[in-house]
Amino acid sequence: MAEEVELKVRHRKKIAAEDLIFYIINTIIMVLFAIVTLYPVLNTLAYSFNEGNDAVRGGIHLWPRAFSTRNYEEIIFERKSIMQGLWVTVGRTLLGTVTSLAANALLSFILSRKKFLFKSSLSLFWIITMYANGGMIPILILYRYLHLTSSFWVYIVPGLVSAFNVMVMRTYMQGIPDSLEEAAQLEGAGYMTVFVKIITPLCMPVYATIALFVAVGHWNSWFDAMLYNRFDPQYTTLQYELRKLLDSVSASTGGQQAGTSATASSAATITPVTVRAAATIFTMAPIIALYPFLQRYFVTGLTIGGVKE
Amino acid sequence: MKTKKIVSLVLASMLAVSSFTACAGNKSSKIVDMTMFAAMAGKEKDENNEIKEIIAEKTGVRVKESWLTGQTAGEAIGSIIASGKLPDFIDGGDGCPTLYENHLLVAWDDYLEKYPNLKEMYTKEEWDQFRQSDGKIYWANVFGNHYKTDTTTGHNGEAFWIQARVLEAYGYPKIETLDQYFEILEKYSKEHPELPDGTPVIPYTCLCEDWKYYCIENAPMFLDGYPNDGCVIVNIDEGADKPKVVDYNTTDTAKKYFKKLNEEYAKGNIDPDFAVQTYDEYIAKLSTGRVLGLCDQYWDFAYSIMGPFSSPLKASDGSEFRLDQLGCDYVPLGLTIEAGMDQQWHSYGDELNNASGCAVTTSCKDPDLAFKFLSMLLDQEIHDLRFWGIKDVDYKVDDKGCYYRTEEMRENWKSDSYKAKHSCEYSYMPQWRGMSKDGKNYMMPDEQPAEFLAGLAEPLKKCFEAYGAGNYADMVGSKYVVAADALPWYPLWSWSNGLGTDTPGGVAWKKMGETKHKWLPAVVISKDFETDWAAYQDAYAGCKPDDFLKEAQAAVDSRLATAQSNGWKPA
Amino acid sequence: MENTTTASQKVKEIDVNKPKFTVKEFKRQWVLVVIGAVYVIYGIIFYYLPLVGWIMAFQNFVYADGIFKSKWVGFDKFRFLFSDDQFIMVIRNTFAMGVLNLVFSTVFAIGFAILLNEVRTKWFKKTIQTISYMPHFLSWIIVTAIVHDALTSTGIINELLLKFGIVEQAYPFLMKPGWFWPIVTFSHLWKETGWNAIIYLAAITSIDPCLYESAAIDGAGRFQKIRYVTIPGIRPTIMILLLMNMGNVLNAGFEIQYLLGNGILQDVARTIDIYILKWSLEGRIMDFSLGTAAGIFKTVVSMTFIVVSNYIAKKRGDERLF
Repeated sequence: MAEEVELKVRHRKKIAAEDLIFYIINTIIMVLFAIVTLYPVLNTLAYSFNEGNDAVRGGIHLWPRAFSTRNYEEIIFERKSIMQGLWVTVGRTLLGTVTSLAANALLSFILSRKKFLFKSSLSLFWIITMYANGGMIPILILYRYLHLTSSFWVYIVPGLVSAFNVMVMRTYMQGIPDSLEEAAQLEGAGYMTVFVKIITPLCMPVYATIALFVAVGHWNSWFDAMLYNRFDPQYTTLQYELRKLLDSVSASTGGQQAGTSATASSAATITPVTVRAAATIFTMAPIIALYPFLQRYFVTGLTIGGVKE
Repeated sequence: MKTKKIVSLVLASMLAVSSFTACAGNKSSKIVDMTMFAAMAGKEKDENNEIKEIIAEKTGVRVKESWLTGQTAGEAIGSIIASGKLPDFIDGGDGCPTLYENHLLVAWDDYLEKYPNLKEMYTKEEWDQFRQSDGKIYWANVFGNHYKTDTTTGHNGEAFWIQARVLEAYGYPKIETLDQYFEILEKYSKEHPELPDGTPVIPYTCLCEDWKYYCIENAPMFLDGYPNDGCVIVNIDEGADKPKVVDYNTTDTAKKYFKKLNEEYAKGNIDPDFAVQTYDEYIAKLSTGRVLGLCDQYWDFAYSIMGPFSSPLKASDGSEFRLDQLGCDYVPLGLTIEAGMDQQWHSYGDELNNASGCAVTTSCKDPDLAFKFLSMLLDQEIHDLRFWGIKDVDYKVDDKGCYYRTEEMRENWKSDSYKAKHSCEYSYMPQWRGMSKDGKNYMMPDEQPAEFLAGLAEPLKKCFEAYGAGNYADMVGSKYVVAADALPWYPLWSWSNGLGTDTPGGVAWKKMGETKHKWLPAVVISKDFETDWAAYQDAYAGCKPDDFLKEAQAAVDSRLATAQSNGWKPA
Repeated sequence: MENTTTASQKVKEIDVNKPKFTVKEFKRQWVLVVIGAVYVIYGIIFYYLPLVGWIMAFQNFVYADGIFKSKWVGFDKFRFLFSDDQFIMVIRNTFAMGVLNLVFSTVFAIGFAILLNEVRTKWFKKTIQTISYMPHFLSWIIVTAIVHDALTSTGIINELLLKFGIVEQAYPFLMKPGWFWPIVTFSHLWKETGWNAIIYLAAITSIDPCLYESAAIDGAGRFQKIRYVTIPGIRPTIMILLLMNMGNVLNAGFEIQYLLGNGILQDVARTIDIYILKWSLEGRIMDFSLGTAAGIFKTVVSMTFIVVSNYIAKKRGDERLF
């Protein structure tokens, strides 16, 4: 008996020493990783606060050389269309995330039911959509017939279901023990009740992940705004407006194709590099600010041990 | 609780959606709003742009312009057609023929008779060049068109550029050949290896990125004394009525030029990163003033470096200096492969690009008003508003009736944000260059001689003076040829830019471009020039350049035939 | 170790319980069938209907004539693609970069997720995680500009190499075709590792803490816990993502190669997407047919990969897509 206890203690000590070394090494790796990934962000931040003409000369790393807030003023205050774009983007991000999350979750739910007769074929049906694409022109023509062009709904309806997200959620749901569902069904619960009352609460980490993916997708998208609502400024999005601004800044040196006597135009006082940086920080900030609220779901984790088999 | 939150989120976002769909269309009723799309990069104007409103009051039309964003011209035009929603005005760039083929454009012919302002833009022969296969005119190029006289002060085209201080250091010598050019660059860089702030100088750099690789690619054409036809040399030794297309990529001159670059690279006189630099890196390099020489077209680099060149910098001894005061501004040199040859780096007269231009689409509800508007934009009063601005706000008039700007006004017109809310050039709609209709002023401020000189830094003025040049064009010193008159096919790039891959020549053209892209920097950095040059020429021959040259010859011949049928004769 | 039922065992059970089609079963799960039908209708409209556009690959598509009246050219577009050495080369490039990216991003993302999960200090863990995913929001233009800048003759990398005497002259990384793929792969890792790890982090949270406890009672050390609990726990997620990303190896991208490449590197840098842009959308001709043909080719290859790897996964009793 005593020997056994002694063995265990020694074992524990060994583990503690191992642990310590592991923690130290792991912390070093994590800190190094953080430094490496933080650099481009800080570099962008430094550029965003640098005066434009000066930044053209390059060589800015972690700190602005000639401090200026001009770049932010340029993107925030001087364009009304940017505010309009901001509203649309906020609208589509909220509405789009909620609807898309619901749509994806429901499809994942039925695909994760082991007894579902069409589980395999319906999965394949959606997998194919990930890799087969009709191309820009047929899609445009289709949306035109569905009256989705020149409309806000083009941001919401076509992107409701994403096979990728569905597969991720389905995998997560399949990990939930059947016993829970069976128990509920014995008590007379239908599929929808199981989905809402049992599966959903257990899926918060994956919901949070997918919500993040979808929201970031909405927040960052601009191509759809251009393609479907090019001449409808009321449906413009934030990123499209910023993108236009950036492209125009890069073009402000004027000029058409090689050899053309181009339109003369003035020197750029704002440079693409600094405005681009400011625009990037400007759009990154809200997501970074909201992140901690989602983060708690998948970093800290949930204590769902109690309901496991 | 959770569901409540979600429901309120949805409601809030729905509210946001409905609130912005509601607010549209509270503008004054007599002004018609129209839209324009130009398949080029450009800057959108703010809503309620001041001069745009004034022009709207005067013409009854307000146009919202939009530009290319993250797509090629072809993709953009394609998606606009497929989406079924066209703007009222369009400049489709390369996509213009597609718009025509899809019957989406309104013919100009009837309106030209009705609106003399528009008709006046071109001569009958010139208008004929715009006619499409059905014999009608669907678009008009709006650039480089001089009212009466050619008054160009700038040199917007290509040249070997050199910093004024280099020339100054050696008493403004005559530089005619590549050898002299690189010699002086090398000498200066050895004697002045650093800028006052300690940045080391680079004797020569050359951009090779994407389509801007013309900076390294087309010099042999100019070095042989030919104008910028862009894709080939058109030899007229047997007379301008017997033009012969020659490939400038395989000439002895081409080999000499690249061998020279190869030697200079080996000596360390060429930027080691020239082949890999991006456009941003290139501009960053130039902006520090450390590059002594380069080959490029003016518009591609000059506007971007103006700002940095005129801002104060700290020298390593703590004093302040400015690059333009130091003489870092670039002046153009019209080099040739042998000394004493004529050259045409600068092309005088108008370059007519008939491949694209401003058009009115069939979606326009009132085409007559659209053309009327285009015509009114050419009224001198409106034209002045577009390019000079508002009297006493953007320019002043002296007692002789000449326009001028104060330093502050000049600064304003350099500011993008000022221009976004104030100026309204309608830059892709019909416009003039040259002398104003009043005979005193010029259509564009940068052509007004006093304005031009006021914009120059001291060392640049001194340099021009030393060479007896009044402006950039004089400095290049090209033979005075009005290419468009003397050479009816000129510029041939307006043909080659529109080449598709549906003909053998077009396929060859594309492959030639890719081969050159890969090999030209490679032969410059090569340690064994002769072998690599031979390998390059082999690869090049594999692209079947003859297919292309045949089509180029046919294009030249057909343009010549058109001109001859209109009564053109060689000078 | 018995408590740690591996995922593959679970999946095998599923196979045994494969549902049999009976009227009774159909009636029992009519709710699922109805919901499934709604999704099928939606999918047909938004994903399958546009596939009619594939007809374009067999035509010389002209807008004015539309999809149904354009001139038929049979397999000409495919013939054009596959008779061009360049196209074969771009397939190789795309495939190589796609595979490198798939392998390294998967390994790094999983590795990072696991290591991060081992961090016990909460604030530290959260901070590192937040920082790690930030570069995802930088556009490729910004990231490639930094990478490009670091690799030029005066960039930080060469500065270090020179300082430590590893090279005598600045090394021209961006002129050496052999370096291009590693540089692209590194850039991907730099930008996306933290972001890609999010899915795995979420999957780790679904692992029952009891499993760790019982593993500890059995005397498992840290690495054994990772090996016998964590990795089996996220194995289904790993498998699903791996399978799905297999289908994406030919979508190795456009922007990054376009921005980092240059003339000298074009033989290794050009991907299918760049090739299509160059050949079908520059100049006067907008050859959407060519792009469509390449798209069909990519779809066929992707689906083949997916079906084959799904079959292998099934045989091995692993998690699978369908």
